[in-house]
Amino acid sequence: MAEAGSKVMTAREAIGRFVHDGDHLVIGNYTVGTCSELVFEVARQGKKGLTLYSQSGVFDVEILVGAGCVDRLVTTYVYRAGGKEGGSAVERALKAGTLLMEDYTNYQYNARMVAGMHGFSFMQVLEGAMVTDLFRKRSFMGEDKYRVIQCPYTGKQLLTVPAANPDVCIVHVQRADKLGNAQYWGALGSVAAASLASRRIIVSCEEIVDHDVIQSSPHLTIIPAYRVDAVVEVPWGAHPTEVLGYYNLDRIAYAFFFLSDTTEDGLKAWMDEWVYGCRDRQAYMDHYMEKHGSHMLDMIRAKAYYSAPANYGSAFCSSWDDEGRERTMGVTPEELEKILEERGLLYG
Amino acid sequence: MARKYTLDELLIITAAREIRDGDRVILGVGLPTTAGAMAKALHAPNAILMMESGIIDFQPLVPPNHIADANSCRGFSYATDLFSMFTMTYRGYVDMCFLGVAQIDRYGNVNTTCIGDYYKPRMRLPGSGGAADFMAYAKATVLTMRGGEFVEKLDYFTSPGYLEGGDARDRSGLFPKGSGPIMLLTTKGVFRFDEVTKELCLAQLHPGVTVDMVKKDVPWDLKVAEDLTQTPRPTDEEIAFVRRFAPTEAVGRKLMYELGITNVFRKAAERGK
Repeated sequence: MAEAGSKVMTAREAIGRFVHDGDHLVIGNYTVGTCSELVFEVARQGKKGLTLYSQSGVFDVEILVGAGCVDRLVTTYVYRAGGKEGGSAVERALKAGTLLMEDYTNYQYNARMVAGMHGFSFMQVLEGAMVTDLFRKRSFMGEDKYRVIQCPYTGKQLLTVPAANPDVCIVHVQRADKLGNAQYWGALGSVAAASLASRRIIVSCEEIVDHDVIQSSPHLTIIPAYRVDAVVEVPWGAHPTEVLGYYNLDRIAYAFFFLSDTTEDGLKAWMDEWVYGCRDRQAYMDHYMEKHGSHMLDMIRAKAYYSAPANYGSAFCSSWDDEGRERTMGVTPEELEKILEERGLLYG
Repeated sequence: MARKYTLDELLIITAAREIRDGDRVILGVGLPTTAGAMAKALHAPNAILMMESGIIDFQPLVPPNHIADANSCRGFSYATDLFSMFTMTYRGYVDMCFLGVAQIDRYGNVNTTCIGDYYKPRMRLPGSGGAADFMAYAKATVLTMRGGEFVEKLDYFTSPGYLEGGDARDRSGLFPKGSGPIMLLTTKGVFRFDEVTKELCLAQLHPGVTVDMVKKDVPWDLKVAEDLTQTPRPTDEEIAFVRRFAPTEAVGRKLMYELGITNVFRKAAERGK
């Protein structure tokens, strides 16, 4: 039976319940620790008509565009495999006219999420971009890609971007509790902003930990439980990308993906094998071990390099001292009760 | 006899020498991170190395795979977010950044977005990432171009150099005064920018390269420095550092892939036994 308040579920259930056709979907992770299993599950379930936001649209974007899930893409950086002779799913979709793409700089994209996260309608961005084609060439955002306003204090012309509040965020972190408190450390990037800007949040994690672990390290929590809709425990959930403290980038598996990605047929074959051919992450890892052996994973497993513990202790554990006297007034509970009675301060 | 070096080592070391002790430097992946690691190890121990994902003052352990690769650091002093990384650049706390180039024009404006029409590109390239904002607000930018090209007009204007040249950049009022690209490093030589016109100017040639070989790639009449020199030779210490820290960078991408693939198949065959 499910524990009270627990949001733990499978990737299949989480994506099925919280990602809908036509949604604005944001990838919470930035370059590192990609929520691979959640991305794969969106592809497996064949979600359609998504507007996809990804700060650095590399592995995640190639999979989802390759799977035909995406109509519109908002990003700052895409991957192109294999140099001049190569290609990418994004490039093929742009050429075929099946994908619209809006380019921003890293800061501008992140600023849209930060505005959304804080409930503002826009954010000031760095005005130098006004001279570039980022400003001049616009896709589906049109006039609303950027607007220029006058600063009411300095009179200066300011460049702004509109807030983004995606329908749903999928994000992978190191650890979370069953309630959804999600802890992430390392390259902070834009992970918190992308998550908190969103209306619904699906968290996958390398491991679920006790709530006590979270309470003794709150500085690592980037998403509070009350914002989270689903918690999915997926060891190796970011493979072939890396998770600090758990495993490094699997460079060989990653390279094989990008070699395949240079052609449409290559990507399809790769997806048939690794995405559609594996019903969940366990099946994916079983297939990986069968194909490459477990030593490939042993090579990339992280060695420990622990953060120095932060001391969250304090001097007092209650208002009463060792002799049972209240620390400020110097009286015992019985004496206090008596005084209150004598002064006529008690009712009932 | 002095130690021999590869072209990639020459490029890394030439870039690294631009970093001064105490500089706060934003590094991109590949050549810049190795250059940063070398500078910090050899001549700029107090340089603050940063990656735009918010990894600040990191100690390089191995060459990073990308700009959010905390796994490649032996610790870092400040974990901040991307938003703050750019606002601190905007406020003037970043001395230097390194950017790769796909197309460059006469005044150091850069394209990293696409070849051909933006909406139906012949080649879709990565895009801006952090480039446009870093090149706008870092005090100085070092540009590197390996597979790219010199063009009269960019197919897409991603990141601002000196705009129309002369004092156009400063005059626009959009950028810190005196900021902009200070160097372009290619496989053939080192280019600087003319102090007045802000036009690219060939300053140094790598060994075995002639001025004509460089001019052949440039569609306008390229300026050549009066005191044109050869790119200074790396020291043995510099070569040794780069070869040991980043052997895959030192040998160049082509050889790295060739040897890497051979190694994968060799290991697979061994397991098969």
